[in-house]
Amino acid sequence: MTRDTPIDIAKSDVFSRCSDVRFRTVVDEAVVLRQEAAEVLVLNEVGGRILELLDGERSVSDIADAVSAEFEVDESMAATETASFIAELRDAGIVSLPVESSK
Amino acid sequence: MSFRGVVVKTWNENQLFSVLVELTYRCNWDCYFCYNDLSLRGTPLSKEQYVELFEELAHMQVMNLVLSGGEPLAHPDFLELGAKARDLGFVVRIKTNAHALRGRLAERVREEIDPFLVEVSLHGASAQTHDRQTRVAGSFDRLLANLEEAKRLGLRIKINSTLTRWNEAEVRGMFEVADRLELPIQFDPEVSPRDDGDRSPLDISPSSSGLRHLLAVERERAERHQETEREKAVREVARQDSELMAGGGSDQHCGAGSSGLAIDPFGNVYPCVQWRRAIGNLHDRKLGELWRGNPRLDEVRRLSRAAKDTVREAGENGWAMAFCPGAAETHTGSPLEIYDAARRRMELVGESIERESTRALPVLES
Ligand SMILES: C[S@@+](CC[C@H](N)C(=O)[O-])C[C@H]1O[C@@H](n2cnc3c(N)ncnc32)[C@H](O)[C@@H]1O
Ligand code: SF4
Repeated sequence: MTRDTPIDIAKSDVFSRCSDVRFRTVVDEAVVLRQEAAEVLVLNEVGGRILELLDGERSVSDIADAVSAEFEVDESMAATETASFIAELRDAGIVSLPVESSK
Repeated sequence: MSFRGVVVKTWNENQLFSVLVELTYRCNWDCYFCYNDLSLRGTPLSKEQYVELFEELAHMQVMNLVLSGGEPLAHPDFLELGAKARDLGFVVRIKTNAHALRGRLAERVREEIDPFLVEVSLHGASAQTHDRQTRVAGSFDRLLANLEEAKRLGLRIKINSTLTRWNEAEVRGMFEVADRLELPIQFDPEVSPRDDGDRSPLDISPSSSGLRHLLAVERERAERHQETEREKAVREVARQDSELMAGGGSDQHCGAGSSGLAIDPFGNVYPCVQWRRAIGNLHDRKLGELWRGNPRLDEVRRLSRAAKDTVREAGENGWAMAFCPGAAETHTGSPLEIYDAARRRMELVGESIERESTRALPVLES
């Protein structure tokens, strides 16, 4: 399934994980806990890797490039899928833009 | 996949996921029934050794780090180690009597450690009972004041209580204390022997009628109270591995030694806080080395698989024993033998199930 690139995510955006988020890799999945909500999410391997890369230093396009290279995914597909996954993480309160650079 | 599914996966794959660290056996209370073995001797782990251990655990993808004791807040490096745990991305839980959790220290715990949960012990619904058990005058009043303050600071708190002969008449009151503070409370229905096997804590084991009363109050509350989604989530994530046992999806009875470990202040490593069969010492080997290819751990895992048979063979209410191989070993010398407290629990739960089903039978009118 191919998704549209979310219109409110720029390639240059640099997201980071919210301070109450904790996560670890269990075999081939990532377990994510939002401490405030006591909410647990389980992500697949690619999702876990994207979350790991959302360290407040890499831009959305840096991460898409890494996904494309590491999982051998076509570049444009990696760009679209990565951006929409990041939008989902943002909507779920797992990552956010630093206040000063948010649009 | 659910959180429970993930936890079961960690058992099946022997992926270390939860570690309980007893930072010190020092304590500002002197609970009559405390299971800590205060005669244990050894070289305490240094701050540097803890830091190295935490780094190694983070690298091994351990998620839950429980800081306990003794009283963890009495460790001189508690804040520094807690902050390190936070920086390394652990879900930190602190088990404390909360006697020192006030003022600047409470603020610093919130700001510097940001624990997922602070688990606090309540021993009664009155100062008389609580202080009798802690053997510290004023500890009840101070605890209630500290809990109010810690809540105001935004610390997430859960109350843990062990049912004892001394507090069993106050169960309802203890629930009310928790309700007034709007905090979740969980009872452990079993007093354990001391870690060295000394059975004197069992002097205050609850009576059968006390246990029956607890079961009845818990059932009554569950019927009355519709858990919110958040309460349900907190219960799910905050529960101990042991509460997941007797479930399906794994040939292990529990996570002892397959996804969980406990470490005492002198570096002895155990499969679980309840199962004091040392599998090595951190002064001799690093944790990763102890974890891989350790015949003592292999034996613990084998016993955990065998414990499933113990439960199955106990009959249809076997699950109600909440059978713990560690407790079995301390009580009977064998991790596979059913101990009195487990048997009694099974019988009482069985009784209560029977009563319920009789109540549900239609009444024939003559
Ligand atoms: C050993 S304490 C350490 C943490 C902290 N000092 C506290 O008391 O909360 C951990 C928990 O074990 C409980 N506990 C202590 N001795 C026990 C025993 N013999 N049987 C059952 N629970 C016990 C305490 O009440 C506490 O909730
Ligand atoms: S407060 Fe905890 S560690 Fe201290 S004596 Fe009581 S049970 Fe033991």
